[in-house]
Amino acid sequence: MSATVSETTIYSGERLRLSIEVSGNFNNVSRPQLPSEFEGVRLLSNNPSIGRSYSYVNGQSSTSYTYSYQLVAQTKGKHTIPPTTVTIDGEEYSTDPIDIEIIDRNESARSGDSNTPDIFLRLDVSDEKPVTGQQIITDVVLFFRDGLEVNSYQPVPGWKAEGFWKEELQNSRRPQATSTVIDGVRYRKARLLQFALFPTKAGELEISPYKIIVSVRSARSGNDPLSSFFGGMGRNQRQVELSSDPLTVEAQPLPEATDSNYLGAVGDFSISREISTTSATVGESIEITTRFSGTGNVPLISKPEYQLPDGLEVYEPQENSSINRANQQISGNKAFTDVIIARSPGDYTIPAKTVSHFDPDRSRYVTQTLPALDFSVNENPNAVAANNTPSSMPISPVMGLASWVSPAPTDFWSNWWFWAGILLPLALLGLAYWKKSFAEKMNTDKAFARSQQAADKAAGRLDEAIALSEQGDIKKAYNMLQKALTGFISDRLTLPEAGLSNQQYVAALEDHEVDENLVKNVRMLLDKCASISYAPNTSHAYLKSHVGLAQSTLDKLKKVL
Amino acid sequence: MATLLLGLTTNSYGQQPAQASFDQANEELETGNYRQAISQYKNLEAQNTISGALYLNLGISYQRIDSLGKAKYYLMKAAQFEETTDKAEQALEFVESQFSRQSAVLPKLPWDVAVGWLQDRIGAENLLAAGIILLNLGILVFIGHWFLSWHPYLLRIAGYIVIGLSIFIILTSAYTRYVSQRYSTAVMVTQKVGVTEQPQQDASLVSQAFEGYTFTVDHRRSNRQPGWAYVRMSNGLYGWIPSSEILIL
Repeated sequence: MSATVSETTIYSGERLRLSIEVSGNFNNVSRPQLPSEFEGVRLLSNNPSIGRSYSYVNGQSSTSYTYSYQLVAQTKGKHTIPPTTVTIDGEEYSTDPIDIEIIDRNESARSGDSNTPDIFLRLDVSDEKPVTGQQIITDVVLFFRDGLEVNSYQPVPGWKAEGFWKEELQNSRRPQATSTVIDGVRYRKARLLQFALFPTKAGELEISPYKIIVSVRSARSGNDPLSSFFGGMGRNQRQVELSSDPLTVEAQPLPEATDSNYLGAVGDFSISREISTTSATVGESIEITTRFSGTGNVPLISKPEYQLPDGLEVYEPQENSSINRANQQISGNKAFTDVIIARSPGDYTIPAKTVSHFDPDRSRYVTQTLPALDFSVNENPNAVAANNTPSSMPISPVMGLASWVSPAPTDFWSNWWFWAGILLPLALLGLAYWKKSFAEKMNTDKAFARSQQAADKAAGRLDEAIALSEQGDIKKAYNMLQKALTGFISDRLTLPEAGLSNQQYVAALEDHEVDENLVKNVRMLLDKCASISYAPNTSHAYLKSHVGLAQSTLDKLKKVL
Repeated sequence: MATLLLGLTTNSYGQQPAQASFDQANEELETGNYRQAISQYKNLEAQNTISGALYLNLGISYQRIDSLGKAKYYLMKAAQFEETTDKAEQALEFVESQFSRQSAVLPKLPWDVAVGWLQDRIGAENLLAAGIILLNLGILVFIGHWFLSWHPYLLRIAGYIVIGLSIFIILTSAYTRYVSQRYSTAVMVTQKVGVTEQPQQDASLVSQAFEGYTFTVDHRRSNRQPGWAYVRMSNGLYGWIPSSEILIL
């Protein structure tokens, strides 16, 4: 059922015709119930003129009623003719509202442009900012002035709409001319063709100019809108090639999908899934059919992938689709059929699957869960008992004890033995090299060797001094104590081994800026050793105290020399 | 395969329950409940308690339900265990003969064969251990020539040779480990899929791959493309395949 008006833009005071057409296969139809009040227009009569037609095509009968009412435009401005209700076989149907514009004849005349063309072509799109994949309807509309008659038209092949997938819609009716006013000039307009376009990418997309060749002639007369389109033959007939302006559409990207269930469907779809049988035998094929039906980019929908249990053999899926180009939009069905065969008996479950499509009317993804499918597979009683596939396996399973292990992650760098094995020999090599170098220097560098051995030598001499003292030879003991001191100083400072006086040793220490108290102790000990010959009653204990002082002095000298 | 087991430690604590579960799964297998048996075997695998027998029985179970790709995968795993190597190799030979599509196999380069042999037969860790022992020995011999009077020249030369050899073995071990970490063998477990030039469904096709095909997966390149694996097919061609289509050993 549809409602149309003869003119959508008219001058105030002019008449327009409201036609309500009911077509199809039905038994009873009521007269249209017009709205109680019209806005901006006045209904001339409640009694419509009724046209009736009957057709029988391919065994299908179809009846069509057309109710025509006359309206008069009254108030200038934009108005809407409300929906009209018709009862068909007991059910109520309503038409869509129709927008019209009533303009003031005088104002229009003042702004009229005498340079407007007599005839031109225009592309009208239903939405200039669609999302990717959204269906937009593009009308190819011819405008021509009163006084011209269009006899025929022929589209020029090669129209392109790059960035779109396009489908021509079914136009079963001959174009109907309606009246309109553009910039104060009255035109008749007729929709010649209609296309559905689906943007395949986001961004600014240009629809190239549409070209047609029309055959026109000057009209003889008349206001009959139908006479101006496909009128009869006459004089002044000529052919004109018309081209529309290019049209730019700003395709918006789809919102980011939150999951991976989006299947490329944009439109209004219902999705279902069914299984051909819930009980099959081994080797029998089972079909899982997923159906999409609705309005939108039907051919661009991709197959959902299902998580199938093990033991199923999957064959090449089948794909069927049917497109309906009628009703001024692309609609249709698409079905994917997965063919599976179970190779072993058992109960199988194909898990539930969530799928989603984008609905441009609601500007969001619509998610739907396809329920899980359960089916059981039984042994095939007709199968040959000696199915040799499993039995011809040359080995049997291990049924006894098994040797269990828990794999541990292995990493070179986390093994202690790796680091120990690398670092230990390197440390050993360094140590050995140091030892070897030391030994070589001790053998070749006399001063170095004296210096290194000075402490041991001095300690030995001190021990010897105590031993001499214990034997009662105090003088020799003090002599040994002096040797210990002077020997250590000369070895460490690389002084001659003999021939120096006590003062020279002390002076050498002072030259090396040794602590004053330490030098004082050395001087005192050396003086004591030199003067001991004149001390009559020197005891062993007295010497031991000097040896103790000498030891502590040597320890301190070791640190500074 | 003792080399593989060097890195494994015996799980004495988990052995009893693992064996009990294994026995139950075996009963399911014997009574023909293959699906149930597979489920129980896989539970054991998920608990990180494994054995050659477990993989062998899993492979046989999958073969019984005609999932030959997975059967091949688990039999290849079973072949890595010394106790099941022979049985697994026999079963693999049978399973290979069941695939409807057999692929041509390009011989490997000698270097790849050598690295593969080292990896499978000796193992990177054992090589490393040998290299480190030799390194220690070489350094001791070298140090000896500094302190021992017995033929120091010979000791020095011997030290150099042993140290050089140990460094070569350690580097070979590192390379073997690098190769084993970067590349793995994978088996295709679904019916059919396209191997593409790029990791995209609509990219140009390199070849069709079928169940049971064996690939070498390059993990380094694959890690950059989640959900995809960069593979070398057995005929030498390279391409991308969805990760869900394969199981990696």
